[in-house]
Amino acid sequence: MAAEDKREILLEVKNLTVDFKLGRRKFSAVDDVSFHIYKGETFSLVGESGSGKTTVSRAIMGIHQASQGDILYKGESVSGNMTGSQERKFRQSVQMIFQDPMASLNERAKVDYIVSEGLYNFKLFKGEKERKAKVERTLRKVGLLPDFASRFPHEFSGGQRQRIGIARALIMEPEFLVADEPISALDVSIRAQILNLLNKLKKEEDLTYLFIAHDLSVVRLISDRIAVIYKGKIVELAESEELFRRPLHPYTKGLLSAIPLPDPESEKNKNLLIYDPSIHDYDKVPPSWCEAYPGHWVLADERELDLWRRR
Amino acid sequence: MSDDAFTFAPWNPEAAEETGYSHYSYWRSTFRTFIKNRLSLTLLIIMGVLVLFSLLYPVLASVDPNKVALDSSLWNRRPDFAHIFGTDGLGRDIWARTWYGTRTSILLAFTIAFFDVGIGVVAGALWGYVRKSDQIMTEIYNVITNIPSTVYLILLSYIMKPGFWTIVIAMSSRGWITIARFIRNKVISLRESEYNVASRCLGTPLNRILGKNIIPFLVSIIIMQTALTIPYSIGAEVFLGFIGLGLPLDTVSLGNMVNQGRSNFMLYPFQLTWPTVILAVITVSFYIVGNKFADASDPKNHL
Repeated sequence: MAAEDKREILLEVKNLTVDFKLGRRKFSAVDDVSFHIYKGETFSLVGESGSGKTTVSRAIMGIHQASQGDILYKGESVSGNMTGSQERKFRQSVQMIFQDPMASLNERAKVDYIVSEGLYNFKLFKGEKERKAKVERTLRKVGLLPDFASRFPHEFSGGQRQRIGIARALIMEPEFLVADEPISALDVSIRAQILNLLNKLKKEEDLTYLFIAHDLSVVRLISDRIAVIYKGKIVELAESEELFRRPLHPYTKGLLSAIPLPDPESEKNKNLLIYDPSIHDYDKVPPSWCEAYPGHWVLADERELDLWRRR
Repeated sequence: MSDDAFTFAPWNPEAAEETGYSHYSYWRSTFRTFIKNRLSLTLLIIMGVLVLFSLLYPVLASVDPNKVALDSSLWNRRPDFAHIFGTDGLGRDIWARTWYGTRTSILLAFTIAFFDVGIGVVAGALWGYVRKSDQIMTEIYNVITNIPSTVYLILLSYIMKPGFWTIVIAMSSRGWITIARFIRNKVISLRESEYNVASRCLGTPLNRILGKNIIPFLVSIIIMQTALTIPYSIGAEVFLGFIGLGLPLDTVSLGNMVNQGRSNFMLYPFQLTWPTVILAVITVSFYIVGNKFADASDPKNHL
């Protein structure tokens, strides 16, 4: 633990709540979520669709306003109104990769503009020559050819388009990348390619990732720590291997049991656990965020914590 | 055949990335799709010739459209070689007046369309993209569209001196809002697209988001709105001229000609017919060409 505490915290999310208004009703997509991400790690947020994982990522990027709570990047709040220079610094060092490569590129702009959009916004180049050189270098980094710059997005395959999206984020020389399900819209055959690219870039560019996914088997492969989010609340957070070895929360167990097994025999006999929220008895005492084991947090009341620990 | 005839090519990851290059250009594809259609091409040529001829007519011919004849035998003459469309009640040459009138009407319509579409697109893009502006803009829309246009036009024509710019102001000051509304509806459907979110994440300022992410997607709507505004404005000028509130009588315009031709219609129908035929050809061809071009500028219809 002592060593862990010394690691630099890059991003801290404190009691984040994001509300959406549905007519008069209020709906909390993210409800009192707290976590932090250390510099240099890959932190994954896993949950089913509608659980609020994308909303968390968009709140970090400032697309959705936080209704309550705070988001700190390098100790500075980025959830409220930022000054011009703060915003500039934040936008440069925090970038996002999107889910759907078909929807996330401007169809009427050439790759050259798409990739250098961030450069234009913050005047990160001295002359046209330097900008072109930067675009070329970044395209090469993600494994694309420099002369793709003069083409339109529709001329590329899904994997190539996703790499254009990565190049667009990468050209800003960010420290922190939010990857919102970057591979779930891709063909299975090129998912590994994008994952390998992300891992390679992490080493080369010294990046930190917030990786959002619904597929636990992919997440296990690349993350250092995993948080499981269910209906806007994080129910469990642990180191990747710890979570797989010793899942505590019944929802996590359910998610783990849903991972398809490559062996048809064992897949057939697999015991699929289905999470039933009614097993909790939270009417009197609401659950709290407790550390069950060092670095392994879970949302539970005391009785459950006791019970889960004993098993 | 032996295996020696073949050698393994070395693995080249760059070559694996190479894809077919379509050499796509938006405007070239738009144009190619447009000229594929025979009807639209024909109408474009007719329209182009008419517009060009009317614009150049003062240079090509030296007939004064306002020259009245003192000799009563030259009044209300039927079409002949000297006067192709005949003459009106004051002996003025209708052929010359038609082209001068068309010229005025086209210039007027282009000016109105320029302001209507220009203001409408910018206001509509802001209206659609900036959520906060929605309420106030909707109120403005309600106010403007709930005043009957005829009442408004008549009122403005009384307040201001009749003239070219009066009509431009009268038409543009209410025409932009319907275009803005149209644009707004389209922008709302684009606003939450992921590529716009991506631009916001990159810190792209509003003007560049509108200029690069929104307006390029509206080209076909803009063209269509322009194409509809031009014939509508020509028609509106004729209408204003018809009720006597249009351009001053000494300005030759299709509206004034139709108005004068109407009073003599029972005796000398050609005085109304010829200007109206030219008017109809221009209006219809603008309308069809505009629609076809708007279709062609939608990349979904590109080959």
